[in-house]
Amino acid sequence: MHELSIACEIFEQVMATAKEHGATEVKHVTLQMGRLSHTNPEQLSFCFNVLANESIAKDADLIVEMIPPSLECECGYTGAVDEKKIRENCKFESELLAYAAVMECPVCGKPAQLTGGRELIIKSIEIETENQD
Amino acid sequence: MHVIDMGHDVYKANDKVAEKNKKKLDKYQVFSVNVMGAIGSGKTTLIEEAIRQLKDKYNIAVIAGDVVAEMDSSRFKKLDVPTIPVNTGKECHLDAKLVEKALDEIDLSNTDLLFIENVGNLICPVDFKLGEHLRVVIVSVTEGDDIILKHPMIFKTSDLAVINKVDIAHAVDVDAEKMRDDILSLKPNVPVILTSKHDWESLETWISFIELGVKEAQNR
Repeated sequence: MHELSIACEIFEQVMATAKEHGATEVKHVTLQMGRLSHTNPEQLSFCFNVLANESIAKDADLIVEMIPPSLECECGYTGAVDEKKIRENCKFESELLAYAAVMECPVCGKPAQLTGGRELIIKSIEIETENQD
Repeated sequence: MHVIDMGHDVYKANDKVAEKNKKKLDKYQVFSVNVMGAIGSGKTTLIEEAIRQLKDKYNIAVIAGDVVAEMDSSRFKKLDVPTIPVNTGKECHLDAKLVEKALDEIDLSNTDLLFIENVGNLICPVDFKLGEHLRVVIVSVTEGDDIILKHPMIFKTSDLAVINKVDIAHAVDVDAEKMRDDILSLKPNVPVILTSKHDWESLETWISFIELGVKEAQNR
């Protein structure tokens, strides 16, 4: 299962960082997830909680922030997609399909390269330590 | 309570290993093909056909990914090409680390073309680069002509799309041309090949596409 291997990687990274900072408890794990990544936030949370069951992260909340797709165009434009325009121009009703179909540069209108929206980043963790200084 | 910034990108960690794999393959001028597609789409058959036609001209190796069994790798071994079976166990895709390990078992200095047959799945392989030069997605008409729009990202991220088993499209009530149009609506200009193992001309198109990549790799 896709989410389990991802959750393993997240769990290992979180525990290593928590240990490095002398954590006694991991309270929150904040993730950034591209809207085009094939990861399911609920399944990921479930897998993470199963893995963390007997660790200092057993009560940790997995907070997922979704990242919209971004583009790079040969005209020099780099940045977010024009969501409204894509939805208006695209024959597909589904959000993922609309994003996956040709994405036009909001400046020159040519098809642009997708540069973001597929990432999965462990942004930060919130921990308790013994020394609350 | 302390907040610790991490900024660790899980997929980028895989991408880094994939880049390393690609550099290694480039060093030996090996052309690598990641063959993705659903279970039963005909990945193994199309790879076998390419091996049969190209093995006298080039040295070919295969990494055969499967969840548990070794049926596919035994088919390639019968063709007398070095084959590394990779069992993912519980995973639904190959990742760069698995390929990195498999590459250690291949004599790359005596390899021109490397097929990496991914696990049968149209979803998970999308997020994991392996270090390939060509990403191929194979679907068959038996999967229904809505299979493409159900799995847009694999088509969006592939360099070549193959619609297989077109000889039985009518029998399964599917329009292969609609499938081609759907692929092009997701990724205009992507090469789309319609194939059937019973139509030699269609196989030739597939095989010559692969051979083109091998020749380019050798001139790099």
